[in-house]
Amino acid sequence: MKPFSIAWSNVRRMLRERSNIFFVFIFPIALILLIGVQFGGGVDPIVGTFSADDGDLSQEIHAAIEAGESFDVIVYETEEALVDAVELGSVQAGVFLPAGMDAATAEGTPVEIGYVARPDGFGAQMQAIVNSIVAEVMMPVGAAQYAAAETGQPFTTALAASQSIADSLQVSPVDVSYLGEALFPASLGQFDLGAASQLILFVFLTAMAGSAALILTRQLGISARMLSTPTSVGQIVVGESLGRFGVALVQGVYIMVLTLIIFSVNWGDPIGAIMLLIFFSAVGAGAGMLMGSVFSNDQQASGMGVMLSLGLAALGGCMLPIELFPPTMRTVAHVTPHAWALDGFAELVRRGGTVVDILPELGVLAAYAAALFALASWRLRVAITRP
Amino acid sequence: MTDILTVNGLVKSFDDFVAVNGVSFSIDEGETFGLLGPNGAGKTTSISMISGLLESDGGEVHVAGDRVATSSTKAKAHIGLVPQDLAIYPDLTASENLSFFGRLYGMTGDDLSKRVDQVLEVVGLSERRDDLSKEFSGGMKRRLNIGVGLLHKPRLLILDEPTVGVDPQSRNAILESVEQLSGEGMAVLYTTHYMEEAERLCDRVAIIDEGQIQAEGTRRELVSMVGEKDKVTIAGGGALSSSIPAIEGLAGVTGVSATEQQLDVLAEDASSILPQLLAAVTDAGGSISGVEVFEPNLEAVFLHLTGKALRD
Repeated sequence: MKPFSIAWSNVRRMLRERSNIFFVFIFPIALILLIGVQFGGGVDPIVGTFSADDGDLSQEIHAAIEAGESFDVIVYETEEALVDAVELGSVQAGVFLPAGMDAATAEGTPVEIGYVARPDGFGAQMQAIVNSIVAEVMMPVGAAQYAAAETGQPFTTALAASQSIADSLQVSPVDVSYLGEALFPASLGQFDLGAASQLILFVFLTAMAGSAALILTRQLGISARMLSTPTSVGQIVVGESLGRFGVALVQGVYIMVLTLIIFSVNWGDPIGAIMLLIFFSAVGAGAGMLMGSVFSNDQQASGMGVMLSLGLAALGGCMLPIELFPPTMRTVAHVTPHAWALDGFAELVRRGGTVVDILPELGVLAAYAAALFALASWRLRVAITRP
Repeated sequence: MTDILTVNGLVKSFDDFVAVNGVSFSIDEGETFGLLGPNGAGKTTSISMISGLLESDGGEVHVAGDRVATSSTKAKAHIGLVPQDLAIYPDLTASENLSFFGRLYGMTGDDLSKRVDQVLEVVGLSERRDDLSKEFSGGMKRRLNIGVGLLHKPRLLILDEPTVGVDPQSRNAILESVEQLSGEGMAVLYTTHYMEEAERLCDRVAIIDEGQIQAEGTRRELVSMVGEKDKVTIAGGGALSSSIPAIEGLAGVTGVSATEQQLDVLAEDASSILPQLLAAVTDAGGSISGVEVFEPNLEAVFLHLTGKALRD
């Protein structure tokens, strides 16, 4: 009963502070939303087109580009407008169809189709797609040019013949198969990746920030006063630990439930997800307790807590997916509990695992929590009973 | 009377520094006992051991028959501690602070809420019960700090310099509360370096310096112990000096001197012989225009015992 009273006073004090409401409840959700919108799925690249020619060939290439399923197409009235759109990032690439294409091809003169793109991944990917579309349209044209030059037939006759052959041509399909599994499967929702990493980051950050409250309790002499009541040191230590754990758990459950409702985030097997949250909250609470019992200055502890939280989060894969780390860094990342927790969520969310599949991750987190709580209890016991 | 607190030979050292060295005293039910000494004399260290916050290096403390140690919860149930520094949550209201500590004393439900109401009444904070304590004045915080110590109706209330940094009005309110609690039968251990508080509140006083109790007793006993006398100054005229033989014959008078307009009398207990003293002057034909009684205070006793003044 007494430990619960101490724990409840911690939760109540945390909830009473307005800045805590923002950082614990509003900020994480806002960040998950932001990351989901910026980096999540559902973003289709856009190609802008400008045609200075309204001949058959130009219209055919344009139609083929519009028919492509890999991107959306916006038609621009002027070349300058398309260049501006690419520069501003409104479209990822632009295709320019020059004037006099039909006449030039009929004369056998090479035609130069312009392509501009932003220097990022989308630009290179779409260039290959545009190249392929243009090559498919221009193949019969090239064949007609060759036939006209070799046989002396009119270009239009040769073009009609080559197009008719092209329509009936059976192209052997390339058999494509994929090995291994995608790092981020297509089934991964827009907010799924960011939600898990931000949950881990913020639960730990909040627990570490709680160390300042523990230091304040000691500084104010409240811990000592608790000891003057018929309350044992053990009960005080358990109560303070439960308080930190409770705060972390409340925040974690809130993030999970709210992102599930608002963003339809897939947390995977509910039991597994809750178990991961409980174990990671315990790790955070243990770390917060250790900070709160080692440091004697709340500002020092707050600064160090934020630094450690962000540092461990970055190293543990909360800011950049751990799958994108080089192999050595991926191993180093697993020094942090964050990486183990994220591994657990990846197993639940991306591979449909259950609580049984994440037992190794839970075991490691339990070991972290036990070690941190043992150290923190010992330090806090010393700190409370020290004159 | 029953001893509520017995302290026997308490010793505490920090490395080579002996903070408390063989402190012993006892307090009866309903008695207010003062521990008077300057800052650094060993008062707070003694109190920390008496309230079970600090393990002693030697000696024993018993409260209501139960031995006190850092691990003993039974003895602590008899003690209400009011520490020198405010030990309340600034971000909890007055009633939440009291309820929190009440639960640590094992109180629950209606008993707790009724007692919280009573204590708020006693410390004069009923109107501010739902305000955060960080919004209180210094005196109100002090009163709440005292309220926490009263929640479980302890048999022994320990107040460690409860009026430090408090405005005169709040100080008076605190002193009145202590007098009231003592009157209700609570044993009170009161530490202070304010001589006037010790004189006003305490039935008995121990003077502590450099970790040792230098003397202990009622104010009168302490004064007698160091040979200090009361002094009565009678202003007037007529045959003042004619009364000297009669005055010297009064019990407890140790010296008389006279001028034309003033008579100075040294006595063990001036207040008890004052009527006879005045009668002796008038009987001898003297006239009296004014009387002043100077009783030696604990400041003088402290100075006599330690060779130094009580200081802030």
